Amino acid sequence: MFQLQLFIEYFKQYLKVRLAYRWDFVVQLGTDFFFQAVNLVFILVFFGHTKTLNGWTQHEVIFIYGYFLIPWAIFSAIFNLWDFNERYVIKGEMDRILTRPVHSLLQVIMETMTPESLIGVVTGVIVMGWAATGLEIEWAWYDPILLLVFALGGVAVYGGIFISLISISLFTDSKSDLQPIIYNIGTYGRYPVNIYHRLIQFVLTWVLPFAFVGFYPASYLLDKTQWQWYALITPLVGAVYLGIGIMIWNWGIRYYRGAGN
Amino acid sequence: MLRAYLEVIRIRFLMMLAYRVNYYSGIVIYSINIGVYYFLWMAIYGEQSSLQGLSAVQMATYIAISWMARAFYFNNLDREIAQEIRDGTVAIQLIRPYQYLLVKACQGLGEGIFRLFLFSIPGMIVVSLIFPIQLPSIGTVWLTFALSLLLGFIVNVELNLITGLLAFFILNNQGMIRAKRVMVDLLSGLFIPISFYPLWAQTILNYLPFQAISYLPSIILVKGLGGDELTQALLIQLVWCFVLLIPISLIWRKSRKALVVQGG
Amino acid sequence: MREMDAIYAEGLTKEFKVYQSRGGLWGAFRDLFDRHYRIIRAVEGIRMRIQPGEMVGYIGENGAGKSTTIKMLTGILQPTSGELKVNGFDPHRERERFVKTIGVVFGQRSQLWWDIAVQESFRLLQKVYQIPPKEYKSHLERMVSILEIESLLDQPVRKLSLGQRMRCELAASLLHKPKLLFLDEPTIGLDVLVKDNIRTFLKEINQELGTTILLTTHDISDIEALCSRVIMLDKGKIIYDGSLTQLKKVWGGRKKVLLETEREIAITDFKSRTVDLPVTWESTGKRQYVAYLEQGEVAVSDLLARVVQDIPILEMQIEEASTEEIVRKIYQEGIPDA
Repeated sequence: MFQLQLFIEYFKQYLKVRLAYRWDFVVQLGTDFFFQAVNLVFILVFFGHTKTLNGWTQHEVIFIYGYFLIPWAIFSAIFNLWDFNERYVIKGEMDRILTRPVHSLLQVIMETMTPESLIGVVTGVIVMGWAATGLEIEWAWYDPILLLVFALGGVAVYGGIFISLISISLFTDSKSDLQPIIYNIGTYGRYPVNIYHRLIQFVLTWVLPFAFVGFYPASYLLDKTQWQWYALITPLVGAVYLGIGIMIWNWGIRYYRGAGN
Repeated sequence: MLRAYLEVIRIRFLMMLAYRVNYYSGIVIYSINIGVYYFLWMAIYGEQSSLQGLSAVQMATYIAISWMARAFYFNNLDREIAQEIRDGTVAIQLIRPYQYLLVKACQGLGEGIFRLFLFSIPGMIVVSLIFPIQLPSIGTVWLTFALSLLLGFIVNVELNLITGLLAFFILNNQGMIRAKRVMVDLLSGLFIPISFYPLWAQTILNYLPFQAISYLPSIILVKGLGGDELTQALLIQLVWCFVLLIPISLIWRKSRKALVVQGG
Repeated sequence: MREMDAIYAEGLTKEFKVYQSRGGLWGAFRDLFDRHYRIIRAVEGIRMRIQPGEMVGYIGENGAGKSTTIKMLTGILQPTSGELKVNGFDPHRERERFVKTIGVVFGQRSQLWWDIAVQESFRLLQKVYQIPPKEYKSHLERMVSILEIESLLDQPVRKLSLGQRMRCELAASLLHKPKLLFLDEPTIGLDVLVKDNIRTFLKEINQELGTTILLTTHDISDIEALCSRVIMLDKGKIIYDGSLTQLKKVWGGRKKVLLETEREIAITDFKSRTVDLPVTWESTGKRQYVAYLEQGEVAVSDLLARVVQDIPILEMQIEEASTEEIVRKIYQEGIPDA
């Protein structure tokens, strides 16, 4: 309960800062929309040359992309730590964090979160809805609940791997930008996995399980039965990876060497 | 004077060597991207042997070569310039006895040379072992490709200088910088060769500088362009190199005035 | 006994790996794939006992290991080896519970949130430290009035001057009434008035709340004003731990007493009066004399008692080495029998 209260307090402070810098907020939203538009354009141009992508129609691929935007948006809202290395390790903000009686990772997340990114959930729903008009999908009453559970599982997968990557900064004192990797690998999960080589499919499922962020759950919602078991274990995979991420973080804190001096 | 600029290139080269984590992560990121686009395009090709005049093998080659070329021309000069403008260090740069923009361009070149030799060339060798690609044998086509690559680099640097300098007028232009980067990746032909766009889009793209960065160099190598086609491609790049100097000098002149006002 | 110590450290050591780069272009290439490192000991086998309520100055040159020690004591860094208990906790392992019992001020790094008003930072800290609202209110009011920061409360931190900010930092670090306060360079870059205000405040909270204070500083006058005890660090090792007066007594060198008399006095007259004291006399001008007293053995009053009886003195001046001079001397020459 204490954590929740603290979260609300941080959220209030966040709003105050945000209101002071309104223009940044608008620019941020604008560029986010722009990114998503670029990705859609890519898919559209793509399908100008083929009817199906290994058996997947244009609408299905767009549906998968739309679904992917939902966990991605929630993830971006919580984990805005792209400059963690620079800001917390090199400039030494981590020292301050470590003198406070709250779990260090939780503090860092609460200080940097960007709830406005949640607007991407709306974009995702719109894209999905639009794609669904060209598809015959049967929605069961529990599908929206599953969608939410899947999405949160996907966020946990993303979050866990992201935390593991930024934890590397705790071990080394050199400048490192590992975080873009996660963005790039994430693109794999946005397309049907059966277009990839078997080895890559394996990696996307069991090593860096980004297929659980987009493809598996979306294919379940598309009423494809082939991957339904994968879809259903999404929350479990999420919990495991988030757990690993937090473990690596806690381990890294022991190696943290402080800034400067 | 020239020696000062050579020194700038050398220093940046050494700096790149120092960031070894970034070096390794760069290798991972580029392999990932080449992989994604390779599989996507091969799924599209499916049974068809040729699309828009490119065979499947040529397409694979195009993907590999355009990403490796990106490693050479890509840099964050726009972000660096914007940063220096925001924190005010640009004022110090201006009183030094060199051309600020030229120094920036040289830094970009130092970075490019580093990645070309330690990244693109070894990367290309590895990629050619994993993916079925076909590179032309040693000959003049590699020379024209090198020239075209350099021109593409110049055009990209010029665009970066423009976006970076805009920080003088729009204080927080980080969003714009990010948007520009995605736009360059999409419209330069990195994700999709220009010839795959719908015709109306191709017409527009032909009037924009982006194709000079990635599409033209890559296609020169992949198709082994020669004769009129080659001359035309190089000419387009050359023209953009010069045309972009105009907005740069205009913005630069204005921004120095802005600096005087902001400074004080 | 250990439970009683505010700080208990035995054999406390911290090692860092330092990567070395090879020279030249080829060396840089090789570094890309295979780097050499060596291990340096920033802090080596430190032994420290600090009782609750003490005010201790922790001094040393740049790179002597002060910050590293403070970071271990505050739970930021994990010691490589040695035993450490602060307020009865293992600072790094029991971090979250431990840091509730300490306050930290890093002079060169803000504890407050940059973009929001000072009082918003305080409120956030109230939640972070789970301070009951009533207690929080009364305590805050007191600190605000002593530190004179009332008018700063609704300003964002980035708009405060250094002195204003430092006073707010102090208030922030004490909101949860810590038993132990760490101050790392608290007066760096401040003007005399603010320094004074801060020193008075620190004395007050030390006396009223019994807060233990460990202070690192470059400014020896901070220590003279506040601390009865000094711990001196050099190259990762403690070279002195004791009272400030003892430090002066042992390394202060000779005291000088300058006298100006009404009439001329023979130097032998002075000498005969003080023949049983370790004093040497010298005449430096017309009716001007200097007495050198060996290392704190004799009280100045002893000397004067013998002289002033029937020699009329116009002016008198006592000169002794300042603490700062002593400290500098120790760093330069080292302690012979450390």
